Amino acid sequence: MEDLFLIGVGLGLGLIVIGAGIGIGRLASAAAEGIARQPEAADKITAAVNLPLFLLEGVAILGEVFALLILLMTRAA
Amino acid sequence: MSAVVEQSHSNSGSVLDQVGDNIIHHVSNSSLDHPLIHFPHIFGIDLSVTKHVLMLWIVSILVVCAVIIPVRKYMQKDKAIPSGWMNALESVVKFIRDSIVQPNVGTKYTETWAPIILTFFFFILFANGIGLIPVFDLLGVLNRFVFQIPASNDQNFINRLLHGGSTVTGNFNVTAGLATLTFITIIIAGSKAHGFITHWKNLVPHGLAWPVYIILIPIEIIGMLVKPFALTMRLAANMTGGHIALLAILSFVAIFAEMVNTSTGIGLSLFAIPMAAAILGLEIIVVLVQAYVFTLLSSVFIGMAINVHH
Repeated sequence: MEDLFLIGVGLGLGLIVIGAGIGIGRLASAAAEGIARQPEAADKITAAVNLPLFLLEGVAILGEVFALLILLMTRAA
Repeated sequence: MSAVVEQSHSNSGSVLDQVGDNIIHHVSNSSLDHPLIHFPHIFGIDLSVTKHVLMLWIVSILVVCAVIIPVRKYMQKDKAIPSGWMNALESVVKFIRDSIVQPNVGTKYTETWAPIILTFFFFILFANGIGLIPVFDLLGVLNRFVFQIPASNDQNFINRLLHGGSTVTGNFNVTAGLATLTFITIIIAGSKAHGFITHWKNLVPHGLAWPVYIILIPIEIIGMLVKPFALTMRLAANMTGGHIALLAILSFVAIFAEMVNTSTGIGLSLFAIPMAAAILGLEIIVVLVQAYVFTLLSSVFIGMAINVHH
């Protein structure tokens, strides 16, 4: 029963990946639609998409790091 | 990479127990108890050279040889026509200046802050890239099979070099140092543009009712500290994560060979090695993108301090 925290870490990692996947997917679909409607604005759209994409990735990575920290710290304790 | 499989078999005990330790061993710094070069403690700080410190030196020397010296030579020439390597450098510098620094920082301060952003970019790019090249593993293989030095020999310098990972940006301390530089740069940029006191006042919008500030000031202080923290975590976790995935896939060969039988391990290697090659290809993109992301976010944060929108 003491190993149940592993389920929590696994579920957390999965939820982070789902969230990041939905976010990146929405960004990519919006960018693709925008570029399809207005191919000449491709550079501007890519530049506008880049920053939120990396911020989103940063949040996802933070979540993964904390999940790993829970795993490692519970192991060490 | 071959060291993974060798070490899994050299120790006694189940492979499954060792694979995790092995992977951590290959991405983390070498142990402080066995440094490469011994230095004394100064003010209670151990100055001994570990693997990541050595890699920092190697990366610095590489950046000096590949970037600074060619640029200095080029500047001294009478007829400044770039050729060869200088062309490549110039296109990278132009890209960083014109499409990362200038739109975010603003035309007025582009020339002031482009040099530090470029320094970040080249250092991170070289440090990330060098982690993908298995120089030390190759040296270890040569050492083991050509010079016949056993892995247990701790006095051998190349054997000691094999401890720890070679991606220096995968170490949270290194990226924390880089992010601290960004943090200081943000404050200096804000102070240069608006004056020291005004920079701190600019952190919160003015002209609000005073109860709002009780909530707003702590939030803005946390936001100010979260920026370099997120930079630290993003770079280090990205660089470590790719290597862990690569080593985990390669470790499947050893795990299956132990759990089922040897031929299953050999059969699995037919899938694991192309998969690892594909992930290595992905890692090349990650290396470039992470150097780009760090510089982009640094210039965005510097720009936020200079062009205040509140």
